[in-house]
Amino acid sequence: MTSTPMPASTAKTPVAPGSVAPMDAGLQSGPLSSPPPKLATGAPMIAIDNVSKWYGDFQVLTNCTTQVAKGEVVVVCGPSGSGKSTLIKCVNALEPIQKGQITVNDTKVVDKATDLPKLRSRVGMVFQHFELFPHLSITENLTVAQRKVLKRPAEEAKKKGLDLLARVGLSAHANKYPGQLSGGQQQRVAIARALAMNPVVMLFDEPTSALDPEMVGEVLDVMVELAKEGMTMMVVTHEMGFARKVADRVIFMDRGEIVEDARKDDFFGQPRSERAQQFLSKILQH
Amino acid sequence: MNYNWNWGIFFEQSPEGTGTYADMLLSGLVWTIATALCSWIIAFFLGSLIGVMRTLPSKGANAVGTAYVELFRNIPLLVQMFLWYFVLPEVLPQAWGNALKQLPNAPFYTGVVCLGFFTASRVAEQVRAGIQSLPRGQRLAGTAMGFTVYQTYRYVLLPNAYRIILPPMTSEFLNNLKNTSVALTIGLLELTARARSMQEFSFQVFEAFTAATILYVLINLVVILLASLLERSVAVPGQR
Amino acid sequence: MFSNFDFGVVFGSLPYLFGQGMVFTVTLTALAAGMGVILGTLLAMARLSGVPGLKHVAKVYVELMRSLPLVLVIFWFYFLVPYIGAYLTGASRPIQVGAFSSALITFTLFEAAYFSEIMRAGIQSIPKGQTGAAYALGMTYAQTMITVVLPQAFRNMLPLLLTQTIVLFQDTSLVYVLSLTDFLGAASKVAQRDGRLVEMYLFAAVVYFAVCFSASFLVRRLQRRVAIIR
Repeated sequence: MTSTPMPASTAKTPVAPGSVAPMDAGLQSGPLSSPPPKLATGAPMIAIDNVSKWYGDFQVLTNCTTQVAKGEVVVVCGPSGSGKSTLIKCVNALEPIQKGQITVNDTKVVDKATDLPKLRSRVGMVFQHFELFPHLSITENLTVAQRKVLKRPAEEAKKKGLDLLARVGLSAHANKYPGQLSGGQQQRVAIARALAMNPVVMLFDEPTSALDPEMVGEVLDVMVELAKEGMTMMVVTHEMGFARKVADRVIFMDRGEIVEDARKDDFFGQPRSERAQQFLSKILQH
Repeated sequence: MNYNWNWGIFFEQSPEGTGTYADMLLSGLVWTIATALCSWIIAFFLGSLIGVMRTLPSKGANAVGTAYVELFRNIPLLVQMFLWYFVLPEVLPQAWGNALKQLPNAPFYTGVVCLGFFTASRVAEQVRAGIQSLPRGQRLAGTAMGFTVYQTYRYVLLPNAYRIILPPMTSEFLNNLKNTSVALTIGLLELTARARSMQEFSFQVFEAFTAATILYVLINLVVILLASLLERSVAVPGQR
Repeated sequence: MFSNFDFGVVFGSLPYLFGQGMVFTVTLTALAAGMGVILGTLLAMARLSGVPGLKHVAKVYVELMRSLPLVLVIFWFYFLVPYIGAYLTGASRPIQVGAFSSALITFTLFEAAYFSEIMRAGIQSIPKGQTGAAYALGMTYAQTMITVVLPQAFRNMLPLLLTQTIVLFQDTSLVYVLSLTDFLGAASKVAQRDGRLVEMYLFAAVVYFAVCFSASFLVRRLQRRVAIIR
């Protein structure tokens, strides 16, 4: 039972002998995303209009209304159970809504005529638990949807995937499997996987909350870079440092309602609602 | 105890005139393996389909899948064998029924279909359990990338689920193999039936059953060996 | 479709089907399950014991039984039991064993292998701390097993043991190969006598389904209750 304590980093994959590529190069320079196409109208990229949702009798979202303009970075925060993860999953119809409408890039989400797989392929999503496909290598993870959904030729998909992998500094891991990477590395691959689809908007559902503290930074670096490039982003997170740095607006949710929807400076300067003030004081204490 | 052992019996001609008793047992072995493999193909694909149906959001698909599993799990295999063999040709339109009755090798085809449908209900339960054991986020991630339901199953859920359920599927394969012996009741001359006829012809009951026992144990060992090779070849680096 | 069929033959034979056939099936199932669980528990304890010879004998027995088709095992014991009986009683000729006894011995010995796997998992599921605590109180191995480990293992595994008993209930139909009059055997005899295979086999299927479906429904409810209490 008792044995010598293992060094903390034994979970890391061994370096192949003779390998010259740095195992983890971190974020590299160069564009992560391609510029999103011009919208036909001046409409917002995401419009959430009076959305309500129930699980049986239990109401999880109540009359939520907000918008995300093109190129805007919106951070959604709130206590657990506030409905923020549910709301973001409604944007690409991973969760159905019972009332209201959501429009993404001029396409109605609640509409029988909408081709949901096509819509989703243009909306990148990053999950709390990464959700890389464990049976596929990193390269296959980056290319499978490009080939099967966007019908890109294998060569083109691979080039696109490997370019993005290089940009997040993980080229040396192209042939490995998700289980052989650290959490932070897996999440960077997951971001690259979403970007490989040339999304017009990126959704992040608590992308750092399943990570060990020392890995949060490497993931946030990639997200900051993406924001600076002008990507439209909706980010559910508790990382207020990230919000301060790159957010344009902050939405505060509680008990299924959007309680506060403010410019970043207003939100951190003088939140109007008491609930938001309490929440901020709690998470900013440490 | 006055049992006369005669291990040389295997090299004596069987009264059927088609070779020795050993040949007779081996031909039984071949039929056992053929029936097991053919019925497994049905069981695997039909069972996967039913299992997947039980994990779909659609209430209708769920109900059909559940009904299938309950129906085939709650009737003894022997009774199902009789239903396929004796009852089905009678309740079909007469022309079809007659065609079935005149089918050459009818016990084999009936046995294959019956075992395939029966084992499918057990495969379905394994496939369902495998899919349900995957994190919910995997399905969401597939969907979020624009995969259709079919693509999500084909590229994400099933490849993982099959890896997880490989050990219980090996047991189901072996159960299916052992269950082929039930088809002797409708006249399939598989291994157990051959051991039984050897006993009837030669009265060397224990030699016949010992030989059959050894052959069954050997097939079991071979299947377990192949399954562990398969398990190793599909293992994903960094998993578990 | 069923216009040519005569379901009256079913009603006429109900007393025979249930009075003889089903009574045979249920008695065989109950006795074989009870004795099979006891023998299976002993086998599981033997496999988990550190005793080298005992451990291996139990393992070989269980693995051998589990790799053979039940039909072959039924034939084996049908011919073997008279010889074993002769050996045990010192008789010079194979002794006559009744069909029911022969079937009961077969199913007990066969199902014991399957029950033993369930009980083994059950015993292993009891935390080591429980045995430790029992020994610390001064209990012997037997006392620890009987008063602490087995009751918990049995309780945890009850749904699985009952499910296996439903399987056993279905498996008893295989005594057909010895021409015994269990429920299916009785149905089959009426079917052959009156030339009414369709009616009798369909009826048998319906009865088996009704019994097994209700029983597994009850087991699932029990399972949920056990899960909640735990």
